[in-house]
Amino acid sequence: MQLGFLVDLHLCMGCKGCEIACKVENEVPLSTWRLRVKYVDVGTFPETKRTFTPLRCNHCENAPCERICPVSALHYIDNGIVNIDKERCIGCAGCVMACPYGAIYIDPETQTADKCTYCAHRIASSMMPACVVACPVGANIFGDLEDPKSNISIYIQEARGDVQVRKPEKGTNPHHFYTGAGNVHLNPLASQRIEGYNLFNKITHLPLGGHHE
Amino acid sequence: MIHETFAATNAVVTLDVALPDIFWGWYVTMNMWAKSIGTGLIFMLFLLHRKNSSEMSGLRTPAIIVSFVMMNIFLLFTLADLHQPFRMWHIFFYPHWTSAITVGAWMATIFVGLEFVMMAMMIRKDKCLLTKNATASFDKLLFWVTLLAIPVTLYTAGIMAEATARELWQMPTESVQMLLAATLSGSAAIILLGGSKLSAETKNFFASILGLSALLAFILYMSEYIFGSMKAEEVTATLAYIKGDGEYATMFWIGQWVAYILPMILVALYRVSKSNSILTLAAILAIAGLWVVKHVWLVIPQLLPMS
Ligand code: SF4
Ligand code: SF4
Repeated sequence: MQLGFLVDLHLCMGCKGCEIACKVENEVPLSTWRLRVKYVDVGTFPETKRTFTPLRCNHCENAPCERICPVSALHYIDNGIVNIDKERCIGCAGCVMACPYGAIYIDPETQTADKCTYCAHRIASSMMPACVVACPVGANIFGDLEDPKSNISIYIQEARGDVQVRKPEKGTNPHHFYTGAGNVHLNPLASQRIEGYNLFNKITHLPLGGHHE
Repeated sequence: MIHETFAATNAVVTLDVALPDIFWGWYVTMNMWAKSIGTGLIFMLFLLHRKNSSEMSGLRTPAIIVSFVMMNIFLLFTLADLHQPFRMWHIFFYPHWTSAITVGAWMATIFVGLEFVMMAMMIRKDKCLLTKNATASFDKLLFWVTLLAIPVTLYTAGIMAEATARELWQMPTESVQMLLAATLSGSAAIILLGGSKLSAETKNFFASILGLSALLAFILYMSEYIFGSMKAEEVTATLAYIKGDGEYATMFWIGQWVAYILPMILVALYRVSKSNSILTLAAILAIAGLWVVKHVWLVIPQLLPMS
């Protein structure tokens, strides 16, 4: 079994339901996120468009975070999920430096690394990840990539050329795909982060939690 | 005012989480800097032993003590940088051998252990229980410790290479930079420690190592500075922080001048004038500048948004 995600960006409307569901399900502390939806505005007024991209851990087949972790706190489980053992983690932040997708954060409460686990605890009880359940438009497709009859496999086959991963040049082989994505969705360097352009807040940088502050 | 400022092909992030601050900051800089001096001194002691062992007589004890202290500073900052420092023992009980962090922690621990034995031998001398001839045993052990110092100084380059997210840190270059940092700071440290105990010929020898290490490291940095941005998008974006009015441009150039350019000039002047104070100044600048150089290179790739 190899579990994977596919986000259909044609469907995503940026409601952030998945983001909230994830926060609640996994009790993700303030100022940290396992999953978030990024908005990027493209174009010149009045020809503008707002894009939405849910971003989470890609559960890479060749995961740099797993490779660099000195104590195997990050490890693969049988269903292909890259999981984390917070009791084992020493908080070296090697994984934070290694993950090309910025998917890992240091939990300010436990002072250990954490990230999206594809809701491994729910899957163990035959439930779908919280974000999949919460999405009102079914934009998150989750399932076994090795089963040709699974929803995700069918979706990938039907989408054919329109299936992409983030930063394929890193050789990580993500188990997380997107359809309907452009460079602006997947490449963080394709958009600018300019002071004063963020909706709702003006915070651009967060201090690190814990004793490193 | 997006419509007034940007072309249609450009894009602006309008809602996202804040970017995390720098994870590996000056604690890690201290770690790399202290390790360079600690291992570099061992390299230089070994070279001195091969070249003219009679000049080692007054240097064995101070050099091994300084190296040992620097290696302990390195270990201390490694520990302090952990968010869960009391779990450090996990590295030894649950080692994950694909990680350069694990391999490095083991090698550095063995290295420091051997240095402790060498130091104890030199301090206890005749009263040492391990050996009857402390100096001879020290010199024998020095060979093995020098061999071990090579991977100990290199493993941080391995960690940087495993940091897949940070495109700037390329493996062959970082390995060479780690070795050059060790030869630069090691030669500087032995010049300072040796003082008048070193003959003019030996001083010339270490001055050459200092000057050449500075030159080679400077060439590598300049190669990256000029050509690095011609191949990879992420490297281009990272180097922007040290170019023009980039956030770290001033600090980058302070580091290059203090660690490399000024020591190179001073070493050249020393060779002409034979003035010991010029050489001492070159050595002090190289050691101080290395910290700045390492810090800038450590921090700039962490400023880039990853997602
Ligand atoms: S996306 Fe990052 S955290 Fe997730 S498996 Fe890949 S490297 Fe690890
Ligand atoms: S922070 Fe924890 S999970 Fe990440 S590499 Fe270090 S020990 Fe492993």
